[in-house]
Amino acid sequence: MEDSGVKDMENKNFEEEVLKEIEIEEEVLLEGKLREKIKSEIKKKYKAEFEKIKREREKKEREKRELREGEYFIRFSLNVRLQHFFLATGVLILIITGLPIKFHDALWAKVFFKLIGGIQVSRLLHRIGAVILIFVSVWHMLYLVFTKEGRMNFFELLPRKKDFKDFFQNIKFFLGLSKEPPKFGRFSYIEKFDYWAVYWGMVIMVSTGIILWFHNFFLGILPKFVIDIAKEAHSDEALLATLAILIWHFYNAHFNPDVFPFNPTIFTGKISKERMIKEHPLEYEKIIKEKEEI
Amino acid sequence: MKSLLFLFILIQFKEEENLKCLMCHGKKDFGILKNSDFISLYVNYDDIKNSVHSKFICVNCHNDVTVIPHLTKPREIHCLQCHFEGNVVDAPVLKRPEKYKESIHSRAKTEGKKAPDCFDCHGIHNVRPPNDSLSSIFKKNIPTTCGKCHSTQRGDYEASVHWNGIKKGFLSSAVCIDCHREHDILPAEDPRSSLYPKNVLRTCEKCHGNLELMKKAGVSVKNIEAYKESFHGIALEFGVLKAANCVSCHEYHKILPQDDPLSPIHPENLPKTCGKCHPNASHNVAKGRVHLLPWERESGVVFYVYNFFKFFTIFVITALVLHILLDLYGRFRSKRYGE
Repeated sequence: MEDSGVKDMENKNFEEEVLKEIEIEEEVLLEGKLREKIKSEIKKKYKAEFEKIKREREKKEREKRELREGEYFIRFSLNVRLQHFFLATGVLILIITGLPIKFHDALWAKVFFKLIGGIQVSRLLHRIGAVILIFVSVWHMLYLVFTKEGRMNFFELLPRKKDFKDFFQNIKFFLGLSKEPPKFGRFSYIEKFDYWAVYWGMVIMVSTGIILWFHNFFLGILPKFVIDIAKEAHSDEALLATLAILIWHFYNAHFNPDVFPFNPTIFTGKISKERMIKEHPLEYEKIIKEKEEI
Repeated sequence: MKSLLFLFILIQFKEEENLKCLMCHGKKDFGILKNSDFISLYVNYDDIKNSVHSKFICVNCHNDVTVIPHLTKPREIHCLQCHFEGNVVDAPVLKRPEKYKESIHSRAKTEGKKAPDCFDCHGIHNVRPPNDSLSSIFKKNIPTTCGKCHSTQRGDYEASVHWNGIKKGFLSSAVCIDCHREHDILPAEDPRSSLYPKNVLRTCEKCHGNLELMKKAGVSVKNIEAYKESFHGIALEFGVLKAANCVSCHEYHKILPQDDPLSPIHPENLPKTCGKCHPNASHNVAKGRVHLLPWERESGVVFYVYNFFKFFTIFVITALVLHILLDLYGRFRSKRYGE
C-alpha cells in the first residue's frame, strides 16, 4: 500500500492529476499563476508526508537491526526512568522556589517573588515539589524492597573496596601515571557517589522539610532549637545539593565531552554497545557470558 | 511692598497694640456667660511673650478684629492663615501642614468627629519650639500631650522601657511620635503608615538598627538583622502580612524587657505569645534562642550546624571540581599525546 503511494508521489504528474480532479469536482477552472501556486503547494505537502513515512520506516528498521545484533543494551528499566523523571521534576521545582528564600536579599530573589506573585505562591509550589520528592522516595523504597530488579540494583550500588581502587586508578590515569583506565561494572564509583549523595540529601531534606512544613505540630513536641537546626540544615543542605547537581551531575550527564550535549540513557533507557564496552566493561562481559551460557 | 509695610507695622506698634486687647483679655476674671456657664476669655500675655509668635500682635492672627471693643465674636482662626506655601511673613511651612491633611486626625475632623487640630498639640497662645522643655511638643511632654485624648495608651506607654529611658533622661528613647510619626499619623491598615505590618520593622530599625544608640540603651542591633533572616521576616517582606513583626511579640505601647514577668517575651509567657499564631505552642518555644544568626557563636548548636555544612560543602564541592578538572586534563593529555 505504502509502496504504491510512494511511487505515485514520485510520478511527476501526480499533482496535475489531483488538481484536475478538484477542478472537476468543484466545477471551476483554475488558470495561470494561481494554478501553478496550488500545484506547487500540493507537491510540497505530498513530499513532506512522503519523507515522514520514509524516516519512520528507517528508524524502525534500524532499531530492529540494532537490537537483533546486540548493538545496544537496556540500561534502565521504565520504572527507574520514571523515578528519575519525578525526582528531577521535584528537585527543580524545589530549587527554583527554595533558593530565593535563602538568598532573599539578592535582587534576583526579589524579582523572582515579584514575578511569581509573592511568597505565598512559591511556598505552595515548594510544597507541591516536596510532595513529588516524598512520593519518589517512598516509591524508591518500595522498589528496593519489593522488586528483584530493585534489590539487584541496590546490591550493585553498595560501595566496595573496588570503588576506592577504581578511584585511585582513575586519578592515575588522568595524570598519565597509568595507561589503563579503571574497568567499571554496572555502576562506576562516580555513579555510586551520585546515588548516595542523593540518598543522604533526601534523608536530610525530607526529614527537616517535614518539620518546617508541620512546624505548628512540631512546636508542641520539639524544643525550639531543634526547629532552628532543621531550618539551618534544610537551607544549607539545599545549597550543597544544588551545587552538586549544577557542577557534578551536569558535568557527568551533560558537559562531559563523551556525552555532550546530554546523555539520553536515563530517558530512553538505552545504551549503545560502544558506550557499554567503554563505560561498563565488566558489566558488558558479564552479560555476554550469561548469553553464551544460555 | 505689602510685606515690608506689614513688618514695619509689626515692629512699631506691637506692644501698644497688644495692650489695647489686654485691657479686657488681660483680666483673669474676664469672660462671658453662655447658657449659664462661665467661659473664660482671659489670655495670659506671658504665654505669647514666651512663644515662637512673640513678635506678632494679637490682630495679626485675629485679623477680623478692627475696632475695640469688637462687637461680634471673632471668627475662628487657623494656623494655615500664615503657615501655607508662599506666605509673606516667613512662617515656616516645610511639608508639615500638608502631611497633617493626610493624617487620620485630619480625616476624622473633616468627617465631623472630635479630633485634634494643630493647636491641640502645639498649644494656642503658648506655642513653643520643640527643644523648649516647657513646650507641649518637647520630647518628654509628648506622652502627656497625646495622652490628653489617648489616655489608655499613655498608661500602657508609661509602664514601658521606652518611657523608663526617657524618665532616666535618655531622651533618644522613643515617645509616641517616634513610631506614629508627627503629622502624617495614619492607621496601621494604610500601606503608607509607619505601623503598616511591612513598615513596622523599618520604624523600629530607625533606633534599633543604630549601633551607637543601642550601645547606650544596652540592646543588641543584631536583633533587627536576625529578624530579617528569620522566616517571619522573609515571609513579611514577600507578601505574608499576617507574619509576625516586631510588635506582634513585643507589644505596642507596653514594651517590657525579657526579665519582666509581665513581658510577653518573658520565657514563662512565650507559649501564650507564640500561641497567638501557633496553636500548639508549648513551653518548648522557650527552649532555644530567639533572633539568632547562624554565624554568630551565641546561636549555640545552630552555629555548629551552620559551620558543619559550611566546611562540608566547601570540601565536597572542591573535591568534585578537582575531579572534573583532572578528568578534563586527562582527556586533553590523551588527545595531545595520542594515547
